[in-house]
Amino acid sequence: MLAFLARRVSAAVGTLFLSSVLVFLAVQALPGDVAGQILGKDATPDAVAALRGRLGLDRPAWERYADWMGGALHGDFGTSLVSQRPVGGEVAAHLANSALIAGVTVLFAVTGSIVLGVIAGLYRDRWPDHLISTVSLVGMSVPEFVVATVLVLCFSIALPWFPAVVLYGPDASVGQLLPAVWLPALALAVVMAAYIVRMARTSVIDVMAGEYVTTARLKGLSSWRVVTRHALPSALLPTLHVIALNVAWLVGGVAVVENVFNYPGIGKLMLSSVQNRDLPVIQAVALVSAVVYTVCNLAADLGAMALNPKLRTRGRTR
Amino acid sequence: MTSTVPAAPPADRATAPVVAVRALSVAYRAGGRDIPVAHEVSFEVAPGRTLALVGESGSGKSTVAATLLGHLRHGSRITGGSVTVAGSDVFALTARQLRRLRGSTVALVAQNAGHALTPTMRIGRQIAEAGGDVPVTELLDQVRLPRPAELARRYPHELSGGQQQRVAIAMAIAARPKVLVLDEPTTGLDVVTQRSVLDLVGALRDELGLAAVLVSHDLGVVAHTADEVTVLRAGRVVESAPTRRLFAAPRDPYTRRLLASVPRLDDTGLARVGEDGEREVRPRSAVPADAPVAVTARDVTIDYGTTRAVHGVSFDVRRGEVLALVGESGSGKSTLAWTLAGLRTPSGGTLTHPAGDLARPARSRPRALRSRVQLVFQNADTSLNPRRSVGDAIRHPLRLFGTAATRAEAADRARILIGDVRLDPALADRLPAQLSGGQRQRIGIARALAGRPDVLIADEITTALDVSVQADVLRLLDDLRRERDLACLFISHDLAVVRGIADRVVVLRHGVVVEEGPTEAVFAAPGHPYTRQLMAAALEPDPDARPRAGGTPDSVPGWRDAATPDDVWTDHGDGHRVRRWHPETEAPHETAAATAEETEGAA
Repeated sequence: MLAFLARRVSAAVGTLFLSSVLVFLAVQALPGDVAGQILGKDATPDAVAALRGRLGLDRPAWERYADWMGGALHGDFGTSLVSQRPVGGEVAAHLANSALIAGVTVLFAVTGSIVLGVIAGLYRDRWPDHLISTVSLVGMSVPEFVVATVLVLCFSIALPWFPAVVLYGPDASVGQLLPAVWLPALALAVVMAAYIVRMARTSVIDVMAGEYVTTARLKGLSSWRVVTRHALPSALLPTLHVIALNVAWLVGGVAVVENVFNYPGIGKLMLSSVQNRDLPVIQAVALVSAVVYTVCNLAADLGAMALNPKLRTRGRTR
Repeated sequence: MTSTVPAAPPADRATAPVVAVRALSVAYRAGGRDIPVAHEVSFEVAPGRTLALVGESGSGKSTVAATLLGHLRHGSRITGGSVTVAGSDVFALTARQLRRLRGSTVALVAQNAGHALTPTMRIGRQIAEAGGDVPVTELLDQVRLPRPAELARRYPHELSGGQQQRVAIAMAIAARPKVLVLDEPTTGLDVVTQRSVLDLVGALRDELGLAAVLVSHDLGVVAHTADEVTVLRAGRVVESAPTRRLFAAPRDPYTRRLLASVPRLDDTGLARVGEDGEREVRPRSAVPADAPVAVTARDVTIDYGTTRAVHGVSFDVRRGEVLALVGESGSGKSTLAWTLAGLRTPSGGTLTHPAGDLARPARSRPRALRSRVQLVFQNADTSLNPRRSVGDAIRHPLRLFGTAATRAEAADRARILIGDVRLDPALADRLPAQLSGGQRQRIGIARALAGRPDVLIADEITTALDVSVQADVLRLLDDLRRERDLACLFISHDLAVVRGIADRVVVLRHGVVVEEGPTEAVFAAPGHPYTRQLMAAALEPDPDARPRAGGTPDSVPGWRDAATPDDVWTDHGDGHRVRRWHPETEAPHETAAATAEETEGAA
């Protein structure tokens, strides 16, 4: 078990290292002059040279990578070229805001869609299944900006319950942001629920057809006990990784939805930094996304270990 | 140990049947029609008695047995008759009453305990959940599992197959039911484990006064365990009789054919069964003394990671000869077969064929060599691509090995090969799912023959087949090796099958050869205690079967290995040799069997 843990964690660290290299290469080491790119084609050669000096572009790539990574490991991602403030703080503020949306979405969408998926699986081919499957499919096929716009139309314009856009900057407090969280969270939930619902439904159907579930039924157990004790732990296993990817997708920047609501999250930061060619910010945001994805997958692996005794007891002396 | 065939019951036995099935008909709906699964099936079981439902696949035996628990497969329904268990009409009960019936009156031991136990729950909790007041450790002790307290904390995957089946039995008797339904309880277990599980079931039945309903296709198991037998065919009762009467004088021709199809430990060849169940044993044809050797294995060792599965095994297979590898699961016999086929690489020793080195994986063998060593899989259902016609499956190796130059020629050759395995060439256009199990296995053989091999590896090829189909497939294999002069490596755990088809036998235990020799010699005078134990555990379709040369399982003495590197064998002449061993007096059989299961579980 410890060996399994160690292997997973070291794989995660390796993944992060590789993605940091890729991020760095993509942004800094591509052909063409970065300083020229940033300043645009009307820049004077002097200005370009000055920027190159400031960015340290005259040094070899690996040296710049080592500097960047060394800083990043201490939370120092450099200075934003636009706001001239430390990138780390800026990213952290936006990340916290995104995490707020993600937290709310996960809390409701993930639990909700697991419950719906399990219900659909248990009532396979009967009306609850048809209803849940159809609605979740519709949610999956409509683009998120459409969902978001429709929600704004309904719940902030027709029925003025929630603010249509956020009027605060990235440093807004949780209390200020909270009223604005619900509509984006709902839009995201509609989009991501379908995947989890379908996955949960399929694996519940598989497991419920299994011999051990029949055996449990024929032991005279109640349906509730059969489902919760015998079927669910195995049925949730394949769903875990779908959930992990969805959560990572949420935290790692849902740019479109954040833009519709003008929500100061990490996705919005990514978009504006790309528009402004703010390289240190782009790099930091990309790296943070990679970290979020890796951590979510690691969490799913650990969750799988908790649900699957075959993984847990591996290597136990018998 | 208690005999599991009890003496005839007292004549004045006043016990009313606890199970009564009357004119039961079951059908399922498919394509808008009712398809009958069982038709007017009737039987009764009294407390303390065992009734066996016997039949081949599709006979409806499992469906009928499941109705005792009020269970029907999705889409099935009762179209007539009734099932009464302990005085209640099972299909008239409310859901709540049915649950109580299942919890306390009837219990099921399912076919495959490995699939029937919930993988995410500890064994102790699964047993406790089944209700009853008996402590879990006492139940585990009752099914003769060692160290119950520790075992209760384990998960199903940490046990061996035999231990899992014992746990399933403990779960079934937890609430002290009146009726036990056993659905093929030992299929998939080794002979030795099977024997001990059956003895356990018999002892518990006597101890707790249970009525048992045993579903089985294995007539040896039935003869050993049941008091009465009901033979089913296509959902109808063909014959119902006390076990002794049925095996001694079967009345229905189908029962006679079924009984005659079962290979016997004393058959000296393969039996051909006539329409009315008459048996004619075809003697084995002698392998010529100068037959060339097709495969030579010398000191082959095979490792799985750090575990050694096969320890220095040597043998020769000659053209026209069937060499059987015999042993329990975990003995390394399938590992050897797969290595010979090139699916694994040995870690030591040599494995050669006149056309080249077989110690290399299939992908790096020259094509000429690859086509000459072919494998037939145990399970034809899963080894054929369900989306390609069987003709395609045979054409593919024809083209791959270049034995057919053109598309048309390949199609022709495929049809000829299908004819060679005694099937209608018109079947070439069918998909595997449209064929029966026996037909699929024949296609598997035809596919292996496509490369014109001289070595054929048959890995438990009849295990999944019904007994009458098994007889046909064995005969086909025997014909083919005569016609084509094939060297055949036959892997099996069924000693009676081996006796009929093999010229020579190699007995493997934990990856070590303990005995080898000509089939006749080994069966007439098994020299190693392990071989004797295997033979004693094999069940014959005869309730009065006398102990064989090996004796009863209890009479096999404890032993320990006494081979030294320079002195491995005791030679009995004519190639019959036995690995050296010493009697060990203080190890009684019971513990020996338990330890054997233990080690299997840890493997």
